[in-house]
Amino acid sequence: MTLLLQAVADGLQMGLLYALVAVGLTIIWGLMEMSNFAHGEFMMLGMFGAWGLSVSLGWDPLITMVPLAVVMYGAGVLVYRLLMQRVQRGEIFTQIFATVGLFFFVQNGVVAIFTSDYRFIHQSLLTGLSGANLTLGPVRIGVPLLVGGLIALAVFLALYLLIDRTDFGLALQATSEDRDAAMLVGIRPQRMYAVAWGLGTALVAVAGVILVNFFAVYPQAGLSFTVLAYAIVALGGFGSILGTLMAALVVGVVQSVTAAYLPPAFKDAFVFASYILIGLFRPRGLFGRF
Amino acid sequence: MAAALVAVLYPLPFQQSGYIYYETVGFLVLLTAMLGIGWNVIGGWAGQFDFGPNIFFATGAYTAALLAIHFEWNAWLGLLGGMAVSVVICAAVTYPITRLRGHYFAIATVAMWMIAQPIGATWELINGSRGLFIPVSPSETLLEGMLTMQFPGRGKGLGFYYLALIVFVLTLLGARAVERSKWGFYFRAVRDDQDGAEGIGIDSRLYKVVARCVMAAVFAAGGVLYSFWALAVFPDQVLEVNWNILPMMAAVVGGLGRLWGPVVGAIILIPISQLMTATLGAGPLAGRGIDLIIYGTIIMVIAGGRPNGLLSLPWARWAGRLAGRGPGEPARG
Repeated sequence: MTLLLQAVADGLQMGLLYALVAVGLTIIWGLMEMSNFAHGEFMMLGMFGAWGLSVSLGWDPLITMVPLAVVMYGAGVLVYRLLMQRVQRGEIFTQIFATVGLFFFVQNGVVAIFTSDYRFIHQSLLTGLSGANLTLGPVRIGVPLLVGGLIALAVFLALYLLIDRTDFGLALQATSEDRDAAMLVGIRPQRMYAVAWGLGTALVAVAGVILVNFFAVYPQAGLSFTVLAYAIVALGGFGSILGTLMAALVVGVVQSVTAAYLPPAFKDAFVFASYILIGLFRPRGLFGRF
Repeated sequence: MAAALVAVLYPLPFQQSGYIYYETVGFLVLLTAMLGIGWNVIGGWAGQFDFGPNIFFATGAYTAALLAIHFEWNAWLGLLGGMAVSVVICAAVTYPITRLRGHYFAIATVAMWMIAQPIGATWELINGSRGLFIPVSPSETLLEGMLTMQFPGRGKGLGFYYLALIVFVLTLLGARAVERSKWGFYFRAVRDDQDGAEGIGIDSRLYKVVARCVMAAVFAAGGVLYSFWALAVFPDQVLEVNWNILPMMAAVVGGLGRLWGPVVGAIILIPISQLMTATLGAGPLAGRGIDLIIYGTIIMVIAGGRPNGLLSLPWARWAGRLAGRGPGEPARG
């Protein structure tokens, strides 16, 4: 029983991080209906950015969040302008193919520069706290993961307010619902798509910066997070920001509970299987808006 | 005719002069070409993006290896067995996901690949990540080797080249038969207009499954060839991403949906990537995925250049220019 409670507590904290990984895809795939197989690669770039700045300049990963977010926002806009804008109105097949190309390009570009070695950050504010624990009844909660999760939650809530409560967010949603009607009221759809790509890319990179405190940094880190993010977005009901949060918590708990009772190699397999099941039985997701 | 002659005679000078490496390049070209033909069925004709076909490559390799180890089955029987097992598994796992379209389907195929990885690494029946080793029993002559897929020392490169040639030709003939059959038309109808196809009574889910099973059979055959060539099956080798990307690249570079497209693509791509492996060899950029960066760039350029219609390098336009007729076909935006 303690094992189960502990697994649930760990899973909820990981879920907060997964929410930030996935919410960028919620915007790009869920809201804007464009595919992005390279989603996890941007997270990996964020991880490498944080690792690089930490090793070369001695910056703490938490400080690198801001400059990396800005840079990756620009990268996302660039990807849209140079690549996705061209394929956006084409066949879905071409869109998938284009982002698969992007995936290979980014992943192996990093391999070419940094090799496939595993790298870790040894000293950071969060890893410095690694001994600290909170005790809640029988459950122990590690402070670093908790702090990371809370930072992710704060970014997430800021995004929710941005999308749900501001004129800009409404314009984004309007473009997602009816591109032509949005144009009629003076919204420039292509600018909205570019911003969506920038936001999505920056968010997943920030998630990578937080994750760098807990995971190894290597060029192949991205793909399983891409599938994880797709599973979460599908579970959360495509384009629902709060749905993404709920779904990410569910995924975190499923993963951590299966890891507690089954061989750890299978912890992702159940999440991926749940993607397939959700697609079959709840095509609108567990927390869909409709 | 000339092409057939070249294909048959290709390895002989190398066998004479002892540059057996080029026979292996030929083997890889044929293997990639046939896998590309297989991927073309689901990707080109049925229009579904399959990002995880290597699970059937692995299924074929493992099935034949298990049959050879435990029951001493002949390699060709193992090949048929591997194809049968792959088709059954493919039908069982694909039918559920055919409700999904577009990206949803594509991600489901990635998910299957991701699920297969821990299974391959931990399942005791297939010896987990320690892998399976196929018992070696070299045959006396080349001809006997063609029946057992085990060749006497120096004949291995030559033998596997001709084995791959045989399986490749069978695949090509099979694919041509499928293209001209009822199935081929149903696949393309589902690709071009799924709702319309259903309107005239084509069961789109059934034919997506059929298309993926055809692909699974081809990949299984390729996996069997590969396992007897390597004489071992390791999960990270048969589930490697290259078995996904190379067939797909071959199909797209040569022209998606065209019967000969993957063949042209493989003839162009494999020598390039082998050349890069050879020249980068011991240098600082060896093993840094330079070929995959180039593939990624090619993919993005092809996709961005012609986002509508079937993906391909603009062969028609280039051919037109060579013949002095000017651009054969204007690029569509």
